[in-house]
Amino acid sequence: MTSKQLLFRNLRKNLKNYSLYVFALIFSSALYFSFVTLQYDPSMDAAEGSIKGAAAIRTASILLIAIVAIFLLYANNLFIKRRSKEIGLLQLVGMNKGMIFRLLSAENFMLYFGSLLIGIFIGFSFSKLIILLLFKITGVESIATLRFSTEALLQTLIVFCMIYLLIMLINHLFIKRHTILALFRVTSSTEEQIKKVTFLEMMMGIIGLFLIVLGYYISSKLFGGDFTTITELFLAMVIILGSVIIGTYLFYKGSIRFIFHLIRKRKNGYLKVNEVVSLSSVMFRMKSNALLLTIITTVSALAIGLLSLSYISYYSAEKTAKDYVAADFSFTDEDQASTFTETLNENGIEFEERSTEVIQVEVDLSHISDGDIEGDLVEGTVLPVVSDTAIEHIDLSSGEVILSGYNDLLQNFIRLKDTGALELNNQKFTYLGLEDEFIVSGYFTSGGLPVAIVDEEVFTKFVTEANPDIQKPSNTFYGIDITNKNQLKEANHFFNEIMATSNGPHESQLNLSNNQKTNMGFMMFIVAFLGLTFLVTSGCILYFKQTGESEEEKPNYTVLRKLGFTQNDLLKGVQQKQLFNFGIPLLLGLFHSYFAVKSGWFLFGSELWTPMIVVMLLYTVLYSIFGLLSVNYYRKVIRDAL
Amino acid sequence: MKILEASKIYKSYGNKFNKQEVLKGVDLSIHQGEFISIMGPSGSGKTTLLNVLSSIDKLSNGSILINGQEMTKLKEKQLAEFRKAHLGFIFQEYNLLDTLTVKENILLPLTLSKTSRTVANHKFKEVAEELGIFELQDKYPNELSGGQKQRTSAARAFIHEPSIIFADEPTGALDSKSASDLLNKLSQLNQKRQATILMVTHDPVAASYCSRVIFIKDGLIFTQLNKGNETRQAFFKDIMRTQGVLGGIQHDQ
Ligand SMILES: Nc1ncnc2c1ncn2[C@@H]1O[C@H](COP(=O)(O)OP(=O)(O)OP(=O)(O)O)[C@@H](O)[C@H]1O
Ligand SMILES: [Mg+2]
Repeated sequence: MTSKQLLFRNLRKNLKNYSLYVFALIFSSALYFSFVTLQYDPSMDAAEGSIKGAAAIRTASILLIAIVAIFLLYANNLFIKRRSKEIGLLQLVGMNKGMIFRLLSAENFMLYFGSLLIGIFIGFSFSKLIILLLFKITGVESIATLRFSTEALLQTLIVFCMIYLLIMLINHLFIKRHTILALFRVTSSTEEQIKKVTFLEMMMGIIGLFLIVLGYYISSKLFGGDFTTITELFLAMVIILGSVIIGTYLFYKGSIRFIFHLIRKRKNGYLKVNEVVSLSSVMFRMKSNALLLTIITTVSALAIGLLSLSYISYYSAEKTAKDYVAADFSFTDEDQASTFTETLNENGIEFEERSTEVIQVEVDLSHISDGDIEGDLVEGTVLPVVSDTAIEHIDLSSGEVILSGYNDLLQNFIRLKDTGALELNNQKFTYLGLEDEFIVSGYFTSGGLPVAIVDEEVFTKFVTEANPDIQKPSNTFYGIDITNKNQLKEANHFFNEIMATSNGPHESQLNLSNNQKTNMGFMMFIVAFLGLTFLVTSGCILYFKQTGESEEEKPNYTVLRKLGFTQNDLLKGVQQKQLFNFGIPLLLGLFHSYFAVKSGWFLFGSELWTPMIVVMLLYTVLYSIFGLLSVNYYRKVIRDAL
Repeated sequence: MKILEASKIYKSYGNKFNKQEVLKGVDLSIHQGEFISIMGPSGSGKTTLLNVLSSIDKLSNGSILINGQEMTKLKEKQLAEFRKAHLGFIFQEYNLLDTLTVKENILLPLTLSKTSRTVANHKFKEVAEELGIFELQDKYPNELSGGQKQRTSAARAFIHEPSIIFADEPTGALDSKSASDLLNKLSQLNQKRQATILMVTHDPVAASYCSRVIFIKDGLIFTQLNKGNETRQAFFKDIMRTQGVLGGIQHDQ
């Protein structure tokens, strides 16, 4: 047999093992190429102009290289270890190391560059779709034209060639360093010896669980008022990160084994049919993959967390804008307001206008603030005050006060009780509670403080007593609401035209919400693609681990089938095993990201559950595909076991 | 009582164009409580015969009745069902699951038949004590010696009181001391529990523990020896002699 024949034979035989590797390679090169195409595309300028997109895309593409490179190196490592026996055998029959290296390189070359070319082709066909998607998410209005960019092609080729060379270098070292004897032992030495659970492992297991719970606990307190200075806050975050990551590592290293050991101990040797395959195998194998699993869990958590946060922000853009701008358009200057309304009239856009007088009054919140934050925030606070005549459904008597429109973010720092006494201008009022409605714009509320509503009589008195030092330049809020929301876009267009030249606080709710959508949409887009790449590559790695494991456990399946286990019995066990293998890192990643998001989501938006659950579900579904693929592989192994 | 009755069994490997007949019409019947060994030169089809009889491999032709049940008519799933209720196995390479403890390994057949936990514990204690491995119950296979592993394997084969136990060179990987230990235990269990054992072996000493030795050659039964009332030593000499004849014929070819 010539070496060329040998090469093609090997390739054909291994192609089945490599199919997912090829897929991941195609996928990542496609993604990289379309990213770089995006980077060099002129139509991106529109997006870049408003949101500094170029830098973000460049950073993302570098991260993409890192993910892809690590994945390819790791996968290559798995494969060469798996084939070490074959390499040893070839040496045994007289091939020298150089020949074997060339054989391997040639095989790899075809696989690698074949996939790369397909990837680039797919990447190009999809880059238009991707750019359209980007424009859709960010709301940027630009025509998605796309040309084939030679710069992008060159950059992609260079990057992937470098990775290829790196792989070759590692393979070369591997073949050079190992003696024939060592090659025959490689696979067996990677799996650790099966031993009883030691006391040290139990300790590690308990400490691991403790550290994770500790991290979660601190994270739930993070913005609760226990950490008041930036240094403390920063320190707390570092502690959370450290304890959760170390905890995760110890969890894989000890806790799983420890917990499974306890379960098994309770069974007293009598395992259920599917536990025979799942419980014991997971118990021993997870430990040796602790580092890998920790990385996968942490990065998954990071991806899910970031994605959730940016989606939360994106999702709540409209509500945030509503909280900050209390009408479709808001002004503080009468002339500007009337210029705008005239334009609206001229163009036949119907609207409702309201003006509300607002004065700033010193308040003492200490009797109704919940929690122990004392000091400036509570005592010397200045709140905007309006009269109850400004709000239709509220009528108060002279000793009463209502607060309305309190920003969610600030609510987390200063919580208010439902009733109590409130001092306005050093006079005591009975506090009746908090309303949801935002009555005036952020200009008057210092960005999110509630508005105090008092009786008309009291309000006039306050106006005369008003402290000039704390008043804003304007004391009147002009809100304009467009009656027919279909005309809102048109109205906004006029607003932008007229107000482009005049300064002074005037705001359009639509502008604010679109702005946030653009920024967060872009962020989301990038994080989503990085997250997706990571998901696919890490899913592939877990899958490769499983295919290797299934081959190693094949003799066990043979024994079990001889004893009378049906294929179905074994398959059920394998399914359970995959539930652990894929489920534990996923579940842990979800928990990590849940607590991370929970601790600070209100800094990003006003809706936690919907966006977070959507992101988590999506991630879980995509991730499960790899679990299903593994089960499928096992099905074949089990079928062939007897 | 006949436990197993095989008639005219044929087995061939390969496809239409490249066929290799391994079993060429073997007739065999086994009675309850017999301890039988199968001997023969390498490649003569011993393992194949054992696999076919134990339903692990499919017949090309012929019929096998175990406990009156026709095996060749059963489907894959029913075969598994049958194996778990009626058959026990011991193999040369121990065949223990390395991630399970000794006790868990031994209890596997009872797990399958959904025997209650208390009964299972009771049976485990009994069989493990008989084989002298009760103290090892919490150890993993890689912490055991070859002999201990093989006794564990034997315990697993006996625990659910199967109709027949099949053993393929159970002493093949053991030194002579561990081998005779194991064989003593096997014949004890054979006596005490009236267990039926069919064992493939190359070792005349091992075969001398049996009540009957079947020699096969080129896919056919060459001859059989019955121990009858002979001593083990005398039986051993008979076996050696027959093996010499068998080997001699082989060399003449
Ligand atoms: N799965 C198979 N496919 C094709 N041929 C097989 C297969 N299994 C066994 N054979 C062939 O059948 C013949 C008998 O094999 P078998 O394993 O039964 O021999 P044996 O008597 O057990 O030998 P040994 O004493 O060496 O274990 C051999 O020639 C072997 O090549
Ligand atoms: Mg054999």
